Order: sequence, then C-alpha cells, then structure tokens
Amino acid sequence: MDLTRRQFVVGCSSAIAAMAGGRLGGLAFAEPGDIQRDIFVVVFLRGGCDGIGIVSPLDDANFQAARSTITFPGSGTGAGFELGSLSNVPFWLHPKAAAFKELYDSQDLAFIHASGLTNGTRSHFDAMDFMERGTPDNKSTSTGWLTRHMAATRPDGVVPVMSTGSALPASLLGSPNAVTISNVQRYAMQGYSTYGAQQQASLNEIYGQTGSLLDGPATRLLSSIAAVKARNPANPYVPITTYPAGGLSDSLKAIAQMIKLDVGLQVATLDFGGWDTHESQVPILGNQLDLLTRSLHAFYNDLIDYHSKLTIVVMSEFGRRLKANRSAGTDHGHGNLAMVLGGNVNGGRIFGRWPGLANAQLDYGVDLAITTDYRTILSEIVVRRLRNNRLGLVFPQISQYQPLGLVRGTDLTIDWTSGFRSYLPMARR
Amino acid sequence: MSLSRRQLLLGAALGATGAVVHEDVGAASLQPSTTEAMATPPFEVIALSRMAYGARSGDFARVRTMGLTAYVDEQLNPNFNNDTDCNTRIANATLRIVYAAGTGFPAMDEMRGLVTLNKTQPELWELRVHPANAERIRPIDEVVAANWIRAIYSKWQLFEIMTDFWHNHFNVWAYSDTRISSLWSHYDKSVIRTNCYGNFRTFLEAVATSPAMLYYLDNATSRDGPANENYARELFELHTFGSQNYLNNIYDNWQEVPRDSQGRPIGYIDQDVYEAARAFTGWTVADGTGGIPNTGLFHYLDTWNDNAQKIVLANFLNANAGPQAHGKAVLDLVAKHPATIRNLCTKLCRRLVSDNPPASLIDKAVATWTANYTAPDQIKKTIRTILLAPEFLSTWGGKIRRPNEVVAAYLRSTGAEVKPSAELFTWVTLAGYRMFNWATPTGHPDESGYWSSSNALLNTWNLLFHLQQSYFPPATFDLQGQMPGSVTTVRQIVDFWIMRMLGYQPSALVKTKLLKLMGQNGNLDQPPTGTANDVKLRLSSLVHMIGMLPEFYTR
Repeated sequence: MDLTRRQFVVGCSSAIAAMAGGRLGGLAFAEPGDIQRDIFVVVFLRGGCDGIGIVSPLDDANFQAARSTITFPGSGTGAGFELGSLSNVPFWLHPKAAAFKELYDSQDLAFIHASGLTNGTRSHFDAMDFMERGTPDNKSTSTGWLTRHMAATRPDGVVPVMSTGSALPASLLGSPNAVTISNVQRYAMQGYSTYGAQQQASLNEIYGQTGSLLDGPATRLLSSIAAVKARNPANPYVPITTYPAGGLSDSLKAIAQMIKLDVGLQVATLDFGGWDTHESQVPILGNQLDLLTRSLHAFYNDLIDYHSKLTIVVMSEFGRRLKANRSAGTDHGHGNLAMVLGGNVNGGRIFGRWPGLANAQLDYGVDLAITTDYRTILSEIVVRRLRNNRLGLVFPQISQYQPLGLVRGTDLTIDWTSGFRSYLPMARR
Repeated sequence: MSLSRRQLLLGAALGATGAVVHEDVGAASLQPSTTEAMATPPFEVIALSRMAYGARSGDFARVRTMGLTAYVDEQLNPNFNNDTDCNTRIANATLRIVYAAGTGFPAMDEMRGLVTLNKTQPELWELRVHPANAERIRPIDEVVAANWIRAIYSKWQLFEIMTDFWHNHFNVWAYSDTRISSLWSHYDKSVIRTNCYGNFRTFLEAVATSPAMLYYLDNATSRDGPANENYARELFELHTFGSQNYLNNIYDNWQEVPRDSQGRPIGYIDQDVYEAARAFTGWTVADGTGGIPNTGLFHYLDTWNDNAQKIVLANFLNANAGPQAHGKAVLDLVAKHPATIRNLCTKLCRRLVSDNPPASLIDKAVATWTANYTAPDQIKKTIRTILLAPEFLSTWGGKIRRPNEVVAAYLRSTGAEVKPSAELFTWVTLAGYRMFNWATPTGHPDESGYWSSSNALLNTWNLLFHLQQSYFPPATFDLQGQMPGSVTTVRQIVDFWIMRMLGYQPSALVKTKLLKLMGQNGNLDQPPTGTANDVKLRLSSLVHMIGMLPEFYTR
C-alpha cells in the first residue's frame, strides 16, 4: 500500500518510514549515549490477589487463628515451599506456585511483602484507578503512570508500547503511542486487495483531519498495522517453550512475539483476572496460581535470549482480609504481595518489612498493613532498569527515591520537576 | 477459558478527565486533530443514533416527518405485540447446539429454537445440573441471540438500548456460575426488561433478590459471622451512590461524615458497607440444602441473618426488626439518597447523549427522577426529560458507538438478512463488547476512550468485512437489489448509500474518497466501469468503508 508520511507519525522517524517493507533492523532499544533500556512487562492481577495466602507466615499464631480453614500446610501432603524469612518471620510459598519456586531459587524472582497502595480504599475500581494513574489520591488524573514514563523516554521504536487486553489499562491512559494487540497474526486489516489498500490509505487521510474523537486512535492503528506487517511475523508464532493452554498464555505469546519482532517494544501490559476470592478460595486460588506461575515460567524462558534486558512486575490492587469469611473466602483487604522477575533482579529473597499480624499491627485491626509503597518498587525499576530519572513526572506525589535493592543497575540523579499540575484533594489517611 | 467463578478481565474504567496538564506527555486522550468540530447532522440522525441501533431503510424519513416529540413518546410506550416481524423472527430462530457424548448423555448436534426464553424459573433451575455444559449455558446463548434479533429488527429500539444500559448497570457475569447461566432468561426478562422503564427502588429490590445477582456477588452464602461483603459493597459503589461518593478516608467514624442541608451523610464509608452486608445476611436462594425448597427462587433464611442493631448512613436499624426488614431498609436508604439519584441520572445522560453530559441536562433529569420517586414509571419519565431537553440536540461529536452498536447499525442500514450465530457473538466479543460475559460488576465502560483501542477498531472493521462474505453465516447482503432502477451512476450509488447509512452528507474529503473508491478512474456521472464482479466488490467495499467512517461512528 501507499504509505503516506502520516502513517508513521507515531513514534517512528521518517528514516524508518523510508525503510518500511524492508528490514527495520536494530532500531529498538538504543538511545545515543545511553545504555540499553530494559523491556518492561507489567502483569496486573485484577480482583485483589490474596498475597498473605500466596506467601504465608504459617508459624504465626494470629495467621493460624484467622486462616486455619483456608491455608496450606508447611509440611506433609500438599505442603508449601520454604522461602526463608522476612523481619525474622519465616514464610512459605503456596504449593500450587511450584514454577515460581524454581525462578526464586535461580534468583531471578523476588517477592516484596506488605506492599501496595497506601490509600485505604477497599474498592477494586478505585484502587486500580489510583494505582494505575500513579496518583494515589486522585483517580481522575488524565494520564497513566506508564504513559508519563514513556513520554520521558521519548521512544523511537515503531511499536514502543502495547497492551494485550481488549482496551488499554488506566496505566496507559492518554498514551499517544500505545496499541492493543492480542493476536499478532490477526493484526491486519481485511479487505479486497486493491480496494482494501485504497480503503486504508483513505481512512488514514480522513482520520487525519475529521475533528472526530477517533482521529488519533485510528491513525495510530493504521500506522502500527503497517509496521507489524513490514516485519512479516511468523504465522503461527512458534515459542521455544511450552505454554499452558489459555488466554493468559495467548497474551504472553503475543508479547513474546512482538519482542522478538524487534519493533522497539519497551513496555507491555497484560491483565489476568479472577482473584476476587470472596468465596471458595482454596480451589480458586490454587487454580489461579497454578496457571499464573506456569504461564510466566514459560514466557520467561521463551525469552531466554532477552533475560539481561527483561523486567517483569506482577502486581494487584490490594490484598485480602486476614480473617476468612463464612463463605470460605476472604473480603477486600489492604497490604499485599508484589513480585519482580528478570535477569537483573536480586532474586531469591523477600523484600520489605513485615509489620506483624497482631491486632494492633493490622490496618484498622483487620488487614495486613502496608510498609512499602508500591511506587517505591516501581521507581527503582524505572530508574535502574528503564533508565528514566524523571520520577517527578512519573509519580508526581513522591519526593524521595529509596531503592530497596530489588534490581541491579546504577542510580541516576533524580529529576523531581514534574511540569505536572494537578489539583489534589485533601490527602487521605 | 473459564478457570474460576471470578475471572476478572477488565480494561480499567476510564474516569473523567482531571485537571492535569503536562507539556511533555502529549496526552492523546481523544483530542480531535483539528479544532473544527464535526458538522452537526439533522435531528433524525441524532435521534436514531442514540435512541436506536441506527436507522433501517426509511427510518430517517419517518422520524423526520413525525418529529422528535412524537418519536420519543412512541418509543417510550412500546406495544410488544405490535412487533410482528421481530417476534416472528425470534419464534423461528434457531441456534446450533453441539457437544460430544459424555457419561450418561448422548452426543448432540442440532439447530434448536430459542426454547428457554419463556421457561419458568423452576424449569430453568433444572438445567443447572444437566451433565452437558452446553445445555447449562444454553439460556445465555439464546438470550444473546434474541437480543441481537431485537437490536436489528425490533420496532422498540429505545427499549433495547435501555435494556442494554440496565444489563450493564446491574452487571452479572452470566457465564461465571451454572446456577446463573441456567436462570439467565429469567434475569433478562423478569428483572431487567420488566423494570427497564419502571421504578428504581422496585428495580433495586428485584435485582437484590434475583438468584443471578445473589450468586454473582456471593450474597447467597452470606451469613452472620462474618458476613460476605461483596454484594453490599457493589450496591453502594456501583448500583447506587457511585464511587465518587465513597469517603474511604473516614472508614468507620460515621459521626465524622459531613452532612447535607437535610442532615444526611454526603457519602458512604466502609462501615456502611460492613453494616449493610450484615443486613443482607440470609438473603439467599432456595437450593434444596438444609431442608429449604429446591426451586431456584429467592429465599430468606432467618437462621443466617444477623439481626442485631446496625448503623447505616447514620441511621439506626433496631435489632430484631423482622424478616428482611434491615435489608429493605438499606435499599430504601440508598435508593432515596441524592448522591444515588445524581449518579443514576448522570449515567443515563452519558448513555443517551454524551460522555460528558452538560450539568444543566443532568439537573433536569434529577428533578424529574426526584419528583417521581414513587411513580411506577419513574425511569420512563426521566428518560423523556433527557430526550426532549434542548441539550439532546445541541450536543454532537462527544461519543462514539461501541462495537456492538456499530455492527447493529451496519446490519440495520444495509438491509442485511441476519440470523444470529456463534460467529457473530465471537467477533463482537473480540472487539471488546462481551454481552453478558463481562467479568467485573462494573459492566462495560460507557466512555469513548475505552472503545477507541486499536483492538476495538480493528476487530470491528474486520467484522464488517467478514459479514458481507458468503463464508460467514450470520448475515446475507443484497446491496445491488436494494437500489432503485433510477440509481445508476457512480455519484448516485454513493449518494444512495450515504443517505441510507449516514442520513446526511459527510465532509468533502470523505465524499471524494467514497467517489474514488466506487468510481476508480471512471466518469462519476456514468455507471461504474469494469466487470460485474469488479463492480460488486467495489460496492461491497464502499458500504464497508462507510461503516468505518467517523460519521458512522459518531453518536
């Protein structure tokens, strides 16, 4: 098809446009004078995963009292895996997360416990909005935190950021260059050959100047389709590992394929739901963990050639109530578990500070307290791995950089200027 | 794909645009590329794009002739017996059901009618234990098929638009539990459709006592010590107050919640959720356990109920008030609250008018809703206020059609012959509109930002292409046969389809591109050149192209 300049407006220099159809070699990760950036994958567990049920202090008397009906044993049949201690408290990993135990033992995976969103909301949707916008007291910020991170890094790849869902998550709200791709082979427009090409060219021109809400999204779609097509993706994609069946694997495979296509992908997001275990938690959580850990294990090893520049974060909007309810489930809680996986992760450890589970140590006397702000975890990755020092822009409400030592990499002089004007309501809690 | 009963897969709901500016971000949150707004079309186009799934042949002219007020009043007073074509199609519709043999049941592969639509609740309840999963979820498939037929063929389009609105407001993930899927035609018909134009407080209780919602949000297992909070939280956050009125910083200090001029708390706090959850303990389903009946009907189990005193929204509910009294008192308190009324009216305006409806319009809706609080047609009167307000016709370009709306409008305006089938449902789901298959209690987002993802656009555009192909079963098209003999030249053909599908002339640039596509390099005032087959492909491409235009998407 006839490529107009407009088609490559999105994160793609005209030099690349001129090469379209040929091989767009090696433009992906380097910026002049900068070291290579990591590829960053954010997995969001929607629904509030039960962090204390995944990495559990089985010896704690308060834990035993509250959860005897829904926990796993530390020894014998169906025992969890010993992980070592945090704040001198020993922890065990859920028995259905065996694939993660392997990554933990190989020191590629780290856990951060008692972390999360300090805002006290118990609403899924508020918590996600606060977290993903990166402004924990303002859920109507018009950009997502990843959108602001990408703006600071000025990506020059043809598809620098993607999501695998049917729509962009709030972390990519307002992104000028994010696209949603759930299936790389199907990322093409259907039409009768000659007339289809004419339709695409016409749509590109029309959506350049209609004044409709779809102007940006439509031109972005058309240019990213052209970019992917030019790289001639394998059909079907052949991974080097065996993924479990299911939608989660399909999403991970789409990301793996896009990484291997070398189109400049820097950030990818995906959602995995099903964690809202208000009832029948034991079988549900077990199935969820089994699938999550085996899928991510397959994905990580499918990208074995990329480990040195791959960082994966697994997060959720909040943890769950310490005490089980009468439906053999748990209600919405507060502090939670986060996970970081990658070739530069100081893995095989649990990070953070354990606040304890005695009544006085709990948030409002019912939930695990938060001792590590989720932005502390993300900031360290943004600086050390993604080589972005503009924390003032990415997280406009923090004023300190306090790396936990989660990942290897040099620190940068932090730029706290934000240029980010935001009406903030009175700070909550 | 189902892993569990609670497979959450959501795109984050996009909130209202906040007052945040950053010069570096170049935020692309749906800024038109020019400052020129799209031209406002004639009123019949606005009406049919918002009150209907687009126009069928003749609809633009009919609405133009009768005028907006008459059209609104006609649509708000549906006579479902007077919908012969649609009713006949539903009666005659078939949908394939196929599954392999299993333990104690034979293989099945047949075209079966929509037989569950009129079954009673106890009859449907029996399906939940059918050994074949395809039979357990069959009621959902049949309601989806019937709703597609109605969206395309029913005279009562506004009722279909509102049915969809309420299904999303009181969202239940139909596939999450076979006790929900088996009863699905009951939820659609006796809960949503029955109350669609009715009274909100009545509606709220119908939902609260519906097995679908009781199972979906776990209230069916909620009992004293501790209660399950899932339903109670969503009652406040989604069904009534809205999260904008959640004061999470106050948590349990109910005396600290600011009051309005009439002494009511201005919002709700976590303690209200916890107390309300206690009020709904024992609201369950007659499932045959522990000596209760096995009918699939609502059942109140007093032995599960926490009957001690409660404080909800600064109101004391006294202990031992009698069966269901506390739950009903909570429904009264939340339904009557001004925050609820404003939240509901805003959502109605957002669905019927624009992503960011004018405050003046919301105020008018609130006034009608409040004045008719006990009226049996409270919702209908409020909708009428919104549709006949001047703001209804003075706003344009602030909303796009969702994938299901694009597809329905395309099928309606092209006169396609539609037989809903799995291929159609699957493709629309791919594009992001997962009818009855949206996992979280939020329902589908109702903001354009969500629906302009590359995934939503691409899958919708590709579906419009596939629909016209002979290999694709759900629809057949006869574009040539619909054009009168007087329509022969390229220009006439393009104008015919523009007026049929859009109802008004698009921008000059769009017009040029459409003429080029249909005419290629020929004379525009002559019939299109080329072989008959080539002309057919161009006509098909022209119609496909119109379906992808900004003018077609705007509502």
